[in-house]
Amino acid sequence: MIDLTSLSKTYGEQTVLDIEQLHIPTGQTFGLVGNNGAGKTTLFSLMLDLIAPTTGTVTNNDIVVQKNEGWKAHTAAFLDENFLIGYLTPEEYFVFIGGLRGMKKEDVHTSLKQYIDFFHGEVLGQKKYIRDLSKGNQKKVGIVGSLLSNTPLVILDEPFANLDPTTQIRLKNLLKEEASATGKTFLISSHDLQHVTEVCDRIVVLHKGKVVRDEKTSTGTLQELEAFFREQL
Amino acid sequence: MLQHFLYLQWKSFTRGAGFATGLAQKILMGFAWIYFAAIFASLAFAAFWVVQDDLGKDPLPFVSGYLLYGFVFWIVARYFLQKMPIVHIQPLLILPVSKKRIVRFGLLKTTVSFFNLSNLFFFVPFGVILIQQEYNWPGVVGWWISIGSIILMTNFLNIMLNSVDRILVLFAVLLIGVYALQYFEIFDLTAWTAPIFMAAYHQPLFCIIPLVLLGLIYQWSVTHFKDKLMLDGGTIQPKAETHRAADLSWLDRFGRTAIFLRNDIRLIIRNKRARMSVWMGVGFLFYGLIFMSDIYSGSAMTVFAGIVVSGGFLFGFGQYVPSWDSSYYPLMMSQNIAYKEYLASKWWLVVVGTLIGMVLSSFYVFFGWEMYLAILAGGIYNLGINAYLVLLSGGYTRTPIDLTTNNKAFGDKRSFNIKTLLLIIPKLVVPMFVYYVGVLIQSKSFGLILVALVGVLGFAFRNLVFGWIEKIYQEEKHKTLEAYKQKNT
Repeated sequence: MIDLTSLSKTYGEQTVLDIEQLHIPTGQTFGLVGNNGAGKTTLFSLMLDLIAPTTGTVTNNDIVVQKNEGWKAHTAAFLDENFLIGYLTPEEYFVFIGGLRGMKKEDVHTSLKQYIDFFHGEVLGQKKYIRDLSKGNQKKVGIVGSLLSNTPLVILDEPFANLDPTTQIRLKNLLKEEASATGKTFLISSHDLQHVTEVCDRIVVLHKGKVVRDEKTSTGTLQELEAFFREQL
Repeated sequence: MLQHFLYLQWKSFTRGAGFATGLAQKILMGFAWIYFAAIFASLAFAAFWVVQDDLGKDPLPFVSGYLLYGFVFWIVARYFLQKMPIVHIQPLLILPVSKKRIVRFGLLKTTVSFFNLSNLFFFVPFGVILIQQEYNWPGVVGWWISIGSIILMTNFLNIMLNSVDRILVLFAVLLIGVYALQYFEIFDLTAWTAPIFMAAYHQPLFCIIPLVLLGLIYQWSVTHFKDKLMLDGGTIQPKAETHRAADLSWLDRFGRTAIFLRNDIRLIIRNKRARMSVWMGVGFLFYGLIFMSDIYSGSAMTVFAGIVVSGGFLFGFGQYVPSWDSSYYPLMMSQNIAYKEYLASKWWLVVVGTLIGMVLSSFYVFFGWEMYLAILAGGIYNLGINAYLVLLSGGYTRTPIDLTTNNKAFGDKRSFNIKTLLLIIPKLVVPMFVYYVGVLIQSKSFGLILVALVGVLGFAFRNLVFGWIEKIYQEEKHKTLEAYKQKNT
């Protein structure tokens, strides 16, 4: 699904990301872990062509992201609040996002029904603009916005942050279900090692812009990761 | 304590997005200041010598009479343009600083603004001329103090009333109404107000009255803001606006463009900053009144007026495409969007706004057809040419707009760059030139027809130009995203 080739990003003297080669196959739930400044958001921004790489390319489904915009048709993402439109109500936002992907208003509302539990009665039908929602509820809107239109690739930057404990558990279930039922490819970054090992098939650890660990998730992964980050103390 | 505040102020100034721009821009900004200073100073000279020699009137009472317009106009201008000060104080609230201090500093900061300082450029030279011409100097000083106090009063009043749209409408109507009454020689309010301002000249001690009033208003604003210095008080974070439902399903007939149109209309309805552009359009409808005098008949300035009258919304809104979407530009750039549809939506808005402007300005017919025809010709030029050009210059503007805070329409230093300045030439200068050529060849009407023809020609190239603008937007994409990250200036 995604191939990175000699991808790097340098600001002045400082190289914030430097990845020689990385392949993410279709259908994988890919977890990205690392401390602040490790380059997680930079990597996702490069994948979405939001910043230009210093060297190298990102290939998404045989399309070179830096050259052709065709990848947008099958990619959805939620990185941060800049992906929300503050003056819309959540419903209007979903209709907008869905509309851009060819969904009719009715389709959007039907599709929203499967997320009613996830919203926990706090998002839909509130007559509130997104900018007036709490951080957690804004996050719910962004996540559902990226899932709604059933694109084969979904990129989520720290989806668990700011969510209440119940919603975190719901999100874990939701992501697992979507991954197994629809075969979607997920790229998820997180600071929460437990969540990410529970959801993802594969974990890549970024450290100072480089890939330092890359492995399939197994029962021992959580302990290994904890050990790795303890070494950084 | 003060030095801590000044330190913060200095940092926010030097680290703001506007400051970090190139040297060329700073020089341009410098020129702009010198330009304004020169305009105001020459206005002061004109106000004295032209009034005395050409009109044969005593300049001081004459100027005093027109001060009323000045003040009301300033209030309206401030409302649109002056940036509100009290925003970045949240981190100070829990530090050992009294609220009164924070408020006082915030208020004093507002006095150092273009809207107050530029008055000095006028009143200082004017006063110096008066004293040189042997007007009684304590009187001039008294007059000065009164006017200075009134200007500062409008400053504080504006800050307090800022959130009330109705007040603005009231003042705008007042300004136009009083001017109309005077224009048609029904009632001259200035004859009544001139003696009031003159009182401080005849008896300098009277300037104590406006000074005391100023003190009272200042105290009033201190208490007003001190009580509101809570997170939910509306001064730190803008109040949540009530939900305005808008059934926009009728737009669906526009196909995919409707998806964007719906958003853009909601953008305008629900964000004060965006609503400003509509008010600007309304305000500029009256701009042509300045050019009603016979001196301008047949001059290229009528075309200038024609373009500005019909194009207030076009310039006010179009200039900030795509900045309106700056707070969620990363979303837009990762969605499956064709720039063409995105641009088409903005283009339609601007076109419809201009058409409405052309219809509403039909009241100029009462003042004679020449002005209205110039507005129609200018309007067609706006539709055919300027509608593209504003979108084009928007591609280079890259001013992040924070929709939730209002007022900053012209305060954005970044919108002041060379490329956007250069684009003013085809927007305003070219049509004036075309008209001038037409007048030279044949007549005033031929000049207007030429201007309109250029506009009609512009329509024919729509697809070509859209493709062109699209390319620029794409080339500028990463720079634009980067610029939008720096939100606060």
